[in-house]
Amino acid sequence: MSTPGPAQAAPASPYRPYHMSRTLTGHRRAVSCVKFSNDGLYLASASLDKTVIVWASDTFATVATFSGHSEGISDLAWSSDSHYVCSASDDRTLRVWDVHQPSNGCVRTFRGHISFVFCADFNPPSDRIASGSFDQTVRIWDVKSGKCIKTIEAHDEPVTSVHFIRDGSIIVSASHDGSCKIWDADSGACLKVLIDDKTPAVSFSKFSPNGKFILIATLDDTLKLCNYSTGKFLKIYTGHVNRRYCITSAFSVTNGKYIVSGSEDKCVYIWDLQSKQMIQKLEGHTDTVISVSCHPIRNIIASAGLDNDKTVRIWIQETA
Amino acid sequence: MNAPIIDPLQGDFPEVIEEFLQHGNMKCIAFNRRGTLLAAGCANGSCVIWDFETRGVAKELRDKACVAPITSVCWSKYGHYLLASATDKSLTLWNVMNGEKITHITLQQTTLHARLHPGSCTPSLCLACPLSSAPILVDLNNGSSTVLPVSVTDNTNGNAVSHPRNKFSDGSLPFTPTAATFDKHGDLIYLGNSKGEILIVDSNNIRVNALIPIPGGSVVKDIVFSRNGQYLLTNSNDRVIRVYENLLPTKGAAKELEIMSDTNDKFPRIEKLKEVGTKCLRLSREFQDAVTKIQWKAPCFSGDGEWVIGASASKGEHKLYIWDRAGHLVKILEGPKEALIDLAWHPLRPLVVSVSVAGLVYIWAKDYTENWSAFAPDFKELEENEEYVEREDEFDLMPESEKVKELVINQDEEVDILTVEKDSAFSDSDASQEELCFLPAVPLPDVPEQQDKCLGSSLKLGDSNHTGSLFSVEAAQNGQAILPASSPFEVVGNSTPEEAVGTAGLKRKRKPSAKGMELQAEKGRKPQTKNKASGKLSKPKSRSGDGIDTNGSVLEDDVTDEYL
Repeated sequence: MSTPGPAQAAPASPYRPYHMSRTLTGHRRAVSCVKFSNDGLYLASASLDKTVIVWASDTFATVATFSGHSEGISDLAWSSDSHYVCSASDDRTLRVWDVHQPSNGCVRTFRGHISFVFCADFNPPSDRIASGSFDQTVRIWDVKSGKCIKTIEAHDEPVTSVHFIRDGSIIVSASHDGSCKIWDADSGACLKVLIDDKTPAVSFSKFSPNGKFILIATLDDTLKLCNYSTGKFLKIYTGHVNRRYCITSAFSVTNGKYIVSGSEDKCVYIWDLQSKQMIQKLEGHTDTVISVSCHPIRNIIASAGLDNDKTVRIWIQETA
Repeated sequence: MNAPIIDPLQGDFPEVIEEFLQHGNMKCIAFNRRGTLLAAGCANGSCVIWDFETRGVAKELRDKACVAPITSVCWSKYGHYLLASATDKSLTLWNVMNGEKITHITLQQTTLHARLHPGSCTPSLCLACPLSSAPILVDLNNGSSTVLPVSVTDNTNGNAVSHPRNKFSDGSLPFTPTAATFDKHGDLIYLGNSKGEILIVDSNNIRVNALIPIPGGSVVKDIVFSRNGQYLLTNSNDRVIRVYENLLPTKGAAKELEIMSDTNDKFPRIEKLKEVGTKCLRLSREFQDAVTKIQWKAPCFSGDGEWVIGASASKGEHKLYIWDRAGHLVKILEGPKEALIDLAWHPLRPLVVSVSVAGLVYIWAKDYTENWSAFAPDFKELEENEEYVEREDEFDLMPESEKVKELVINQDEEVDILTVEKDSAFSDSDASQEELCFLPAVPLPDVPEQQDKCLGSSLKLGDSNHTGSLFSVEAAQNGQAILPASSPFEVVGNSTPEEAVGTAGLKRKRKPSAKGMELQAEKGRKPQTKNKASGKLSKPKSRSGDGIDTNGSVLEDDVTDEYL
């Protein structure tokens, strides 16, 4: 149990705290997003300095630095086979980069949004990308041809997150207009509105690994776990600070089940999924922690800090 | 996965042509088990695999040796292989993933329909129905074939013996085309012969175990099982589609049947087979058009077996008739003036694809109507107007009790975020088997030089104005309006923002309620406040605050003006 690995500890086992292991300083501006690839081999980070950096997740050496966007980058998505990474930028485009052959650089540019592209996600077969933008639309793109397959007039304010369910049949989107909606990925039809309040703005939404629940963050310092078929909020996680930024959160399932989120008080918060108790606060960043990501197999958390910090930090679980 | 929130009131059969696919001259089609890929056999001998989600070509299976028109295509159970039969009398087995040819066998006759054994994931056995002879079972590994019996005579008691495991050695019978299909697990073969009988043949020992005479007794043209194996339909020359209920269990049907046919021996052979036959299939419905007496083409069941579809191609027609299983004609769909040649119903969705004689594939889907109540979770949709009687305390102010209602949920209950339920539509899926659902999408590279032209070139815009500036919003919009050269569907999908906003306005208007009106009024007020609002919001709330500040507000204003 001492080495990180696919160790499925019993939920009853005592919590082993995370501690900081590395600080990655590759970006010259605020880091906006970090994401581990699905095969766990890479970590990608995007930044306002207009670049995407791909790191090897064992040594944290730089594998590739992708530049080409003319404005800062807000979000990242990995294809299921961890071959491509997609970036969403303020230059109103999405770009897909080839991680296996970094020299190829940008493989494809997706143009069509008429304002900043703020969020993106690959569907599970990775033949489509969904993106959300300040132009208030959600667009579905054909990865192969780069064409926009569908434009959904989804919200009345900027779209803050899009996420495909595990079988790709539906998409959840969140927006500053205070709503969180579920869309049929094929027809683009609205299937359900989960929240429809004017305030607070919904800053993030994500399906649980099994696709039965949605984790929703609102700009009133709250994270909620919602059963979308009944529309009921099952769990509410609080304690962190989240009033301004679209901070991403994550499910940690490699050793016990936790909810991990960034916070505007420069910390990473970890809650127990079931008891809703905040069990650890990771301190070290020197600015708002805007994005967190959990390694798919090992007990590693990556987090990203804004402009006063500019770093990606790696947290690992203390060995017993 | 989306099942729990799909509106059950939306009908589940297709209504309009949503899109058409064009690639060479396509002749026949087949969905893979999950309906994620569509295979089409072409007149030039190649097979095209369409990614049905993106409606793009995922793969083309092509070989110098295969140039004759394809007559049928069939997927293996887990979608790794595709069998194609062609007019040059060949059967070709392809590996779908890498596009390689595995086997290529030439038979003595052109096969009209070839079906892979549905039971195994690496199929070696296939059932081929030739143009003018009895169906044969072909072993794709060694090319050996077994002729199936197509009729039963009273004097022989071991019918299979008269057809040795050989090719058409003696040409014993004057053959006519015979339709045949495997049952769900491939234990039995159901054969419809020219005398208007259904024979049930054991696929292992090639013994006829049951016989069901079809009323009318005319030549059987098609014989098709529903996806769950519970229903069988026959299409006969007497212009009637008959639906039979399968009385045998789907698992172990062969054994059951053997026991039945062995037990009673007191009748002569044919009588005995008929007796057993009554325990195998029960005629439940007959479909026909009594007025026009149409010859049906390519009838089949819907994915859930609730609907039966048949097509008419007479005089260059492209008409689809849809019946419910209770026997009512529910819909006639009329397509373009190109005769229909093949038809397939999507295994899961209310979606039909049809092939026209011109080689195009038409996709029929539901005419989607917006479910307005989805937008307002606390609204209820009414069939018609009704007088509303308010509750006694409906407008009393009781903020406390309302809050209580929300908190009823027990937050301490355990939630399971990992366990995935099995898809009920594929109850027989074997989790240990890796199913091939998708071919990896490889993005086509951008045109390297002049990146701003990408938009124009990728959209096939003839006269796009390459302004090359960041402010080419208008160009982008035009581009999207013109983009779908081929499909009417995409025009809708890519409507310009103006149009879309228009419809957004519409959808507000159609909400017949006080709240709707309120929303609409608000929508109307928005333009004045919008620019300010988004300007304000972009700074404090965005993740990438500074990027917006530098050029953001200018752009945003420009865009919003255009947009509203």
